[in-house]
Amino acid sequence: MTATFSEFRRRAKSAIEDLRLQGALDDGTGKLWEQRRLTFEELPNSDAMRDHFKLIRSATLRNLAEHLETFERNATAAGAKVHWARDGADACEIVLGIAQDHGVKLVTKSKSMVTEEIHLNEALADVGVQAIETDLGEYIVQLAKETPSHIIAPAIHKTRHQAAELLSRESGRSLSPDDLTTLTGEARKLLRERFLTAGMGVSGGNMLVAETGSVVLVTNEGNARMVTSVPPIHVAMVGIEKVVPTWDAAAIWLSLLARSASGQPLSIYTSVISGPARAEDPDGTGEVHIVLLDNGRSELAGTKYEEVLQCIRCGACLNVCPVYREAGGHSYDSPYPGPIGAVVTPLLLGRESHEALPHASSLCGACKDVCPVRIDLPRMLLELRADQVEEKTVPWSERKVEETGAFVLKHEKLMRFMTKAARLAQRPLARNGRLRLPRRLNPALERQLPALAKRSFREMWKSGELEEKR
Amino acid sequence: MTQSKRVALCVTCLVDQVVPEVGVATVQLLRRAGHDVDFPEAQTCCGQPFYNSGFRDQAIDLAKRTIEIFEPFDAVVLPSGSCATMIRVEYPHLLEEWHEWHHRATELAEKTYELSEFLVNRAEWSPEGEFEQVRLTYHDSCHMCRLLGVNDEPRQLLERAGGRITEMSESDRCCGFGGLFSVRMPEVSNAMTGEKLRQACDVGVETLVTSDPGCLTQMRGLAEGSSIKVEHIATVLEEITR
Amino acid sequence: MNPRDEILERLKRNASNVEMPGAWQSQRDFPDLAERFTASLTAVRGEVRRTETLETALIEVGTILDEISAQTVIANNEAPLAEARLDDRWPHRELYLVGKTPGDLREFCARADAGLSGVEAALAETGSLVVHSGVGKSRLATLLPPVHIALVPVSCLEPDIFTWTASRNKEMPMPSNLNLISGPSKSADIEFTLTLGVHGPKRLVVVLYD
Repeated sequence: MTATFSEFRRRAKSAIEDLRLQGALDDGTGKLWEQRRLTFEELPNSDAMRDHFKLIRSATLRNLAEHLETFERNATAAGAKVHWARDGADACEIVLGIAQDHGVKLVTKSKSMVTEEIHLNEALADVGVQAIETDLGEYIVQLAKETPSHIIAPAIHKTRHQAAELLSRESGRSLSPDDLTTLTGEARKLLRERFLTAGMGVSGGNMLVAETGSVVLVTNEGNARMVTSVPPIHVAMVGIEKVVPTWDAAAIWLSLLARSASGQPLSIYTSVISGPARAEDPDGTGEVHIVLLDNGRSELAGTKYEEVLQCIRCGACLNVCPVYREAGGHSYDSPYPGPIGAVVTPLLLGRESHEALPHASSLCGACKDVCPVRIDLPRMLLELRADQVEEKTVPWSERKVEETGAFVLKHEKLMRFMTKAARLAQRPLARNGRLRLPRRLNPALERQLPALAKRSFREMWKSGELEEKR
Repeated sequence: MTQSKRVALCVTCLVDQVVPEVGVATVQLLRRAGHDVDFPEAQTCCGQPFYNSGFRDQAIDLAKRTIEIFEPFDAVVLPSGSCATMIRVEYPHLLEEWHEWHHRATELAEKTYELSEFLVNRAEWSPEGEFEQVRLTYHDSCHMCRLLGVNDEPRQLLERAGGRITEMSESDRCCGFGGLFSVRMPEVSNAMTGEKLRQACDVGVETLVTSDPGCLTQMRGLAEGSSIKVEHIATVLEEITR
Repeated sequence: MNPRDEILERLKRNASNVEMPGAWQSQRDFPDLAERFTASLTAVRGEVRRTETLETALIEVGTILDEISAQTVIANNEAPLAEARLDDRWPHRELYLVGKTPGDLREFCARADAGLSGVEAALAETGSLVVHSGVGKSRLATLLPPVHIALVPVSCLEPDIFTWTASRNKEMPMPSNLNLISGPSKSADIEFTLTLGVHGPKRLVVVLYD
């Protein structure tokens, strides 16, 4: 996974030229944003609620180790097995180990970002274990051999025609794109059978509640309930930052999560798993494993980027981001697209390999406004850019341009001289206030760059013509 | 309370070099509001482009320079939402490690204004008289509306000057400029500008008004040939109230 | 160092003590909890039938089962179903009472036409049912059948999630499985068009009684 400048631009360009995709992005992000607005309007004191939640998140993260230890203690007491993974390799090894111990051949999965982050499905496939995504959107994306392009609407880029084609191929029946009930009915049937035969269910975790050692999962379809109730073993993989100390704090998290994500007061299913089925339970999983994944997160603790760990992955920032809404999710080449992805991807998956992402923003600030935790994403994008300059990963030519520019601007006389020279130089190209550059030479492409005015403001001022007539 | 009538104009690079008529209009408006205008000639750039690209040292040098130039004045006015934000919001943050400079930055921040908020809140000026009605829409530049919280003032001024504002579906959606972003990511930047202009055309007005020279030049760069004119609030107000 | 200690050690090195804010207080003051519950649940295509007593509620459940021509019915053996003598009420239906009826529970759930359950609590603000696992309480009974019918006494309505967590008995261990169910299973993953019953029940019918 990489996002250099040329890669990001190339992918964004093809997204922009794909009119169907543009329509889908406009429509989808617009709907999610509007629904979010409506549910927040209906929620009393929502601003105070977000402030309160921010305090909870930042206080929890300041003392993350303590809350994780409490979680581990209580989850273990409830009968779950807690594993710790430094990185993707650790995490994959743990899951593969569990699968192999039990001779598992088929895994059903409930939507999980961290398993995308560490490429768990590929690791399972390498040892002959098939992993099936069961969130309808993820399932369609998996059938298309693609990756999700939105945090909560993974198949935002697929049409119903494409979905019908993929599901028809899988089921061997010809399905009409115009009959969504039959289409989803077929997916239900296909996946229901997988649930009943899978040897293991793998999920992510929206939240870990320390005081009871519980994993919390939210879905609308009910696939997380299936994954955690039907197969004999359940493995939940969760980032270490997702812990919350108490149920009081969990309640505010849940209230803000669904409202921010999809404008629902609460998701249809909130599933709380506290260990495997007990002796008195008539059904349920025999084993529950919880893999706590670090993968770079603990290194952010105590740094200027710690705030980014407060994210609850609601995806609201994507829906308001003017860059995401044009470039789409795949341009970022990360499980985390949009503004949050532009910050978190370089931090977790590699700064040099994702050099373009801190620049995939006009710093408009819409993301910070909508964030349920008010994460200052524009500030962190600026920090990442400053780090690139400090670490000298900025191209030499750009560095020289910036340094020379600043030098000129520190000397007013020199600036006057340089702009005068530029005025002369642009003469053959300037018309009606714009530079008429051949498109090949215009870094802004079809947008015409402004030409320098014939006379600068300071020249006019100096000449005395702006003096007040009294 | 006696209020200072002497203000310094921080004209900004783009206005100085590309759209000087915006600077001229700003001077006229400030005078109409009863103020004497100073233009400290040593001024150059507030440092925002360097700051936004991660070139902190360069931004700090230009910030210190700008503070030295403008701190003797009682008030500083900029015809640019984003440069006003740079001085008001970012300077104190940028210089927070140096106690003395941080203090000076904070003092300058307290007396720095974007043009429309200065006219409405500090000068308490309003266009007076009977004006012909103009149909227009207003683009909220990002930093001005989100970081300075100024979105009522320009609308107030435009409406008092006979402007009939029809709002776009997303008046605060970014125009695609973002400084060097518009050159680093031209495809995305242009698509964003295209969306902005589409929304402006959809409301069926003649003029799209903004308070930011960055947004102004960005949108003009793609507006040529379309049915809409993109104008700076200073030139629009100055012309109407002349 | 093992991964656990390595991660915890790094976090502890950079930790500091910050006071945790208290619990967020519910901001809701609904004049009529049942009314709000009904409005919220029906807004997401859940169904609510209001009746007077437990007896009329049970009759209503029978009516619903008739409406959907339910032949096979799974019922959690919990209040108020446990004492309702369901066998006598619906002798013509194939009934599986969790923990009582012999046979494969999962296999029965997978082919049942409807699942019946009680609830531990219900939240008015969001139209949510709180359902636990435990003695006589199958998690598959409310998940696998296409229709889930829940019997909810008005007395168990809470204003919202905040009053619910505040009233939680901290001495009682959490059940191994707890679900907040706030409507029928749904998806909008294909072109943002709503479809019901993707994995869980297509219909959620709540019979609310005094």
